[in-house]
Amino acid sequence: MKKYFITLLFLAAGVCLSGQSSDPLVTGCVLSAGANARYLKDFRIQLGKAVNTTDLRYKANMSLWKNTKYRFTMCNADDSKGKLILCIKDDANKVVLSSFDQKTGKTYPYIDFICNKSGIYQLNFDFENGQQGSGVGVVSMIK
Amino acid sequence: MRQLSVFLYFCINQYIDLVKGRLFFILIALAVVCFSCRNSTKKTGEFVFPEADSVPAGEAEKLSAEAIADISKNITSPVEIANLLQLMEVPFSPEYIASSIDANKQTTNFDKALALGILGADLGYLNMYEKTGSSINILSSIRKLAEGIRVGQFFDFETIKRLSLNKSNLDSLLFLSIDSYNQIDKYLRDNDRGHLSSLMIIGVWIEGQFLATQVMKQYPDPMLRDRIGEQKIILNDLILLASPYCNRYPEFTSLCQSLQEMKTRYRDVRITYTLGEPVSVEKDGGLVITQTETSKVEMTDEQLAGIIEVSKNIRNKLIVNN
Repeated sequence: MKKYFITLLFLAAGVCLSGQSSDPLVTGCVLSAGANARYLKDFRIQLGKAVNTTDLRYKANMSLWKNTKYRFTMCNADDSKGKLILCIKDDANKVVLSSFDQKTGKTYPYIDFICNKSGIYQLNFDFENGQQGSGVGVVSMIK
Repeated sequence: MRQLSVFLYFCINQYIDLVKGRLFFILIALAVVCFSCRNSTKKTGEFVFPEADSVPAGEAEKLSAEAIADISKNITSPVEIANLLQLMEVPFSPEYIASSIDANKQTTNFDKALALGILGADLGYLNMYEKTGSSINILSSIRKLAEGIRVGQFFDFETIKRLSLNKSNLDSLLFLSIDSYNQIDKYLRDNDRGHLSSLMIIGVWIEGQFLATQVMKQYPDPMLRDRIGEQKIILNDLILLASPYCNRYPEFTSLCQSLQEMKTRYRDVRITYTLGEPVSVEKDGGLVITQTETSKVEMTDEQLAGIIEVSKNIRNKLIVNN
């Protein structure tokens, strides 16, 4: 009986939480994109520690359009072990951009991308060195 | 609070999965979703429609669960189209809005979901032009429609209304509006109501396409012309999105035919690519990357006229019963 009660409690709490407005991490990240940025989409990422770090683990597709300047802003939760990184590939699997510079080891918190080729791109997210963490990648359009 | 919600979410999922004994199958399905590649066959420098017509109905059905999630992210946001119109200095026009949609007259879930998509696109257009008076009317229709298909809980109407009236925070308004639609979309998909999610997405696209093509008629512009031509890239995905339901629900038949008609109009539009390496510059702590690879649309005036006509017919047919 106790087991069922606890389960019900969990379910009720889950329903209540999901009914609340958005995650402060997401809203904070949206607003940090800047006054001239118009929100388009966000990708919420939560990953455990990677077994191997050969490939970025969170993948999603998104269409990007020619003559548009996009801003990709990456934000991490405080308890994340590494910074969120983004790598975008085109439909031919060619890397178009990466927020992590392998030569210097630097991770950029945002990238402005001036798109000149319309198409469907693959957005790949992970945390530095395959660390565990949660974060959000916000896509905005720069006016 | 965040940690608690993550923990609860984990616990609930574990519990449900274990009870149903489906954990193994879910892991397999997740692995397929994570590691499978979408259709990316074009390396010839030209975009062509995949032979989707030859995909058996059963195959299309299997694709739908993962495809919907992807495709919903691919549809051109009406916000992007409105932004392009503002860049072209096209003035706002209420004529482009589907104001004839009466939420009270949408009787079936099919009509409600489709209208929800159409009005969602209109809301994006209104928000970008900061037409708050009209957006309040649209918002109340959206509320009725969302409640009609039992997803009203995901739309924070009061906050969106407040932000609409207070023009100071457009980004928060856009975020809340789009996020509400995303939550509805996800909820419908997660609860075996993927056909309604598909309808919503198709509705958004059809209205965005109507807006772009109508403006093109009045204010011809090469950038907008390209954007209309480039819709060929995602049209096949939209057809794929509807395909599992074309023969299952009678209401879908006409919509599927309309999308096929649109595909026919786009068939000879050519999209070609030229190669180039991206150029990156560090600026203000961030990175600015300019893509030198380009896409080019080749579309005759006749092809464009055909697309404008069919876009108008399809959209007007959908809102005519109001």
